[in-house]
Amino acid sequence: MSTAVANTTILSELQDKFGAGSIVPQETRDHIPTFWAPRDQIHDIVRHLKSGVPSPYKMLYDLTAIDERVRTHRDGEPGSDFTLIYHLLSFERNEYIRIKAALKSDDLHVKTITNVWPSANWYEREVWDMFGIVFDGHPHLARILMPRTWVGHPLRKDHPARATEMGPFRLPDQKQDEEQEALRFRPEEWGMKRSSEDTDFIFLNIGPQHPGTHGVLRIVLQLDGEEIVDCVPEIGFHHRGAEKMGERQSWHTYIPYTDRIDYLGGVMNNLAYLTAVEKLAGIEPPPRAQVIRVMLSELFRIISHLVWYGTFAQDVGQLSPVFYTFNDRERAFGIIEAICGARMHPNWFRIGGVAQDLPQGWDSMIRDFIKYLPPRLIEYDKEIMRNRIFKARTQGVGAYSAEECIEWGVTGPNLRACGFEWDFRKKQPYSVYDQFQFDIPTAQHGDCYDRAAVRVEEMRQSLRIIEQCVNNMPAGSYKSLQPLSAPPLKPDNTMHDIETLITHFLGVSWGPVIPPGEALGAIEATKGNNGYYLISDGSTVSYRTRIRTPSFPHMQTLPNLCRGLMVSDLLAILGSIDFVLADIDR
Amino acid sequence: MDAVWPIGLYFVLVVLLIGAMLVGSYVLGQRHDDRATGSPYEGGIVSEGSARVRFSARYYLIAMFFVVFDLEAVFIFSWAVAAKEVGWPGYWEIVIFIGVLVATLAYLWRLGALDWSGEPRRRREGKAMPQKL
Amino acid sequence: MEIVIHIVTVLVVLFVVLNIAAGLIWVERRLLALWQDRYGPNRVGPLGLMQVAADTIKLFFKEDWVPPFADKGVFILAPAIVMLTVLMSFTVLPFAPGMQITDLNIGLLFVLAMSSLGVYSVVLGGWSSDNKYSLLGGLRAAAQMLGYEVFMGLALMGVVLMAGSFSLRAIVDAQSKMWFIVPQFVGFVLFLIAGAAEMRRLPFDIPEAESELVAGFHSEYSGMKFGMFFVGEYVGVVLISALISILFLGGWHGPLLPPIVWFLIKMFAFIAFFILLRAGLPRPRFDQLMSWGWKIMLPLALANLLVTGAIVLAVK
Repeated sequence: MSTAVANTTILSELQDKFGAGSIVPQETRDHIPTFWAPRDQIHDIVRHLKSGVPSPYKMLYDLTAIDERVRTHRDGEPGSDFTLIYHLLSFERNEYIRIKAALKSDDLHVKTITNVWPSANWYEREVWDMFGIVFDGHPHLARILMPRTWVGHPLRKDHPARATEMGPFRLPDQKQDEEQEALRFRPEEWGMKRSSEDTDFIFLNIGPQHPGTHGVLRIVLQLDGEEIVDCVPEIGFHHRGAEKMGERQSWHTYIPYTDRIDYLGGVMNNLAYLTAVEKLAGIEPPPRAQVIRVMLSELFRIISHLVWYGTFAQDVGQLSPVFYTFNDRERAFGIIEAICGARMHPNWFRIGGVAQDLPQGWDSMIRDFIKYLPPRLIEYDKEIMRNRIFKARTQGVGAYSAEECIEWGVTGPNLRACGFEWDFRKKQPYSVYDQFQFDIPTAQHGDCYDRAAVRVEEMRQSLRIIEQCVNNMPAGSYKSLQPLSAPPLKPDNTMHDIETLITHFLGVSWGPVIPPGEALGAIEATKGNNGYYLISDGSTVSYRTRIRTPSFPHMQTLPNLCRGLMVSDLLAILGSIDFVLADIDR
Repeated sequence: MDAVWPIGLYFVLVVLLIGAMLVGSYVLGQRHDDRATGSPYEGGIVSEGSARVRFSARYYLIAMFFVVFDLEAVFIFSWAVAAKEVGWPGYWEIVIFIGVLVATLAYLWRLGALDWSGEPRRRREGKAMPQKL
Repeated sequence: MEIVIHIVTVLVVLFVVLNIAAGLIWVERRLLALWQDRYGPNRVGPLGLMQVAADTIKLFFKEDWVPPFADKGVFILAPAIVMLTVLMSFTVLPFAPGMQITDLNIGLLFVLAMSSLGVYSVVLGGWSSDNKYSLLGGLRAAAQMLGYEVFMGLALMGVVLMAGSFSLRAIVDAQSKMWFIVPQFVGFVLFLIAGAAEMRRLPFDIPEAESELVAGFHSEYSGMKFGMFFVGEYVGVVLISALISILFLGGWHGPLLPPIVWFLIKMFAFIAFFILLRAGLPRPRFDQLMSWGWKIMLPLALANLLVTGAIVLAVK
């Protein structure tokens, strides 16, 4: 990626088309080409970028907004009360582009881009829900994460962030009834008919309390007998305001919150967050820290895939594998526990490195695990992947093509199952992934079976990476000595001169002050591309923390996958796309 | 053949047992009445529309085939038990009978009446994706 | 005196069947646990044996809830039907010489009739609950029944043909030289599949499909009425295992050991097999089961019957 060149070519292309004055470039910490564009032209610009430019930006990677009203450092940016941010991704260029639009408080309207990217639907709903920005022409601009009865838009700076600012919560009977009534599904709102000529449709709520949805997900099905006519996934039951919390936790104390985004991914989330933070702070962690990070992240990829493997088999009715894979996962957790002290949510990476050095005997534990798992995986292949009934249930079910995936923002194993070999560890190597040898498994059909096959193979590749980590673990420090790393290491003279002592004291007690700027840090997480888009206003806390998760767009594609199939197929599809609700709702 | 009355006795005992189980749990069981006790389970959401609906005619169609075929099966039952007595003539007759049945089945099969919907959507195409997009 | 023997037989059969079914709950949970790397119930009584008793007591004290929106009469009737039909089948089973309540000359037809009636309980239970999951479960049960019921009876006709009778005792007697599993292997496999489907157990637990329909037809059932579906299922396992032993494995026939022991050995082997099936296999979709039933099993059963007929007549 030669950023400077790309910057100028795409900039001149856009300026030629839309006028030199309307496209304003902005420098960012992550060197992603960033342009400000007039609100009224946004729709045309993103459409042009998707189909009009050479090597087009085919994927709508993320769409979000910022409440800029209390921000202080806005050097060289056009003034705005709210800013819309469109992140697009071009696979041919292997590059993101960031388009920003300034909005004023008294006119929070913009033209929808749902007719350019259908996947913009949920993103625009989320922005409306969180910021109150209206997308004109959106097919169904309703709240998506917050309850329908909610008052206000939570990510605005004037919205309270703490329960203590809002008065005690009460749920009298009358309010409970209202909330229940608000949740009732009204087919007419979604343009659905209640009956066709010869059948009445059943509207069935699968979830939020249902054993097959892997969490508090609600899927409303329009059924003709058992056949799915249409389906509406309803999310938000797991929403905990992780992005809002980012605005009041220090850069350092936010790390444990990230553990709980993709709660099966453990430290993998830390890595995504820290990739962004370290870009902002300009920290390069020492090699040992990097390799430890890679090793633990890959271990967590295996842990996450093991959970998926067993539960997927259970979704298609196979009772036993879930016990086997969870047992294996316990073994992996044994290693995680020995190294990090915690199991599911270790909160173990730090700004500039990791929390501690590796304990004695860590390598033999990992070597044991590397020997232990492959025979088990072979056994599961026999039991699950080669099972005739399992194949009958999953092959040809819920297929999409690579084009559809890209159109809908699908990344990770689900994209690779369509035969498109795209892995951010290879294509845009972060941390030290470029120093490892591993293959990118792909499959051809993009159906439930292939999504499974890709993940199974990924576990083997992760084992390969872990083995390389064990064999080549560099010596050295586990954390950077740079003053912005947190909590900072003590330089030798800390206790001897007052200046360093005070700096150290502030670094420990307040946490680091990250210089103003913005950066996107995106990694290949367990389920797809997980990105943290952070904006620092030059303080100890983030000004805006945007978390782009893979499960959110994956869930949005669900209706396309299951129309015309049966309820049983829906459960197979849900199992195969591998989501966790916390990763969708944040 | 043995006496049939023990079956009657057994029947009475089973009915008594079932009655005892139903009455026993009715008498012993606890009772409560909360706000949502009287609503059907549907994932914790207020139900929209009833479960008493007209559903797809496909179910009736398959049921119809079943009734037809199961009825024919009864004729086969009666041949099976007497096969040795009726000998080869009976055998050829049942061959013809089953032949007609199989022809019907083949016809229904070809008509697609035995396929549930969704099959076209599940067909696995050997499409090869371009590696670069 | 004969009357007393009859009465004692009736009481013993009912008592033993119910106890085996209850014990089976423990056996299944322990066996499944063994195969799944875990312990299973091991706290109540020695080896957890009293777990079933504890569960029964619990079920009696659970709320006996009849949904206000349900069709109440049918709702209560449905679990009673499943218990009744599955228990009634045992009246014609020969466990050992002289150990049988009644040998009907249409014994096999009686069993088939009872098992067909049993489906009503599921369909009615699902329908009367007025719950959408239950409705789908009931519809699935009906569709599934249509899928296997056609070939279930036909699969057995080879056995009938060879024995020349519907009487189960006559069928067992006809196997004194050779078990029917040898000449009727196709019929055996077909009936095994149909039997598993009949009991609605994994891989054919499609009507309840925990991960899809949340217990399906009995979502709304609680307390002892739920317990009756449960017991019905386990008595069903005993019934199908006993039937397979009688029809294909020569019933009580076997060397050295007393007849009843042979019968029990065979029956428990199949019970364990069904539990293993549950531990091992995923669940097909109900339309797959149906289309396998109509397109593969039914033609196979017919072909098996014709071949058997020709051979029997040729040998005669």
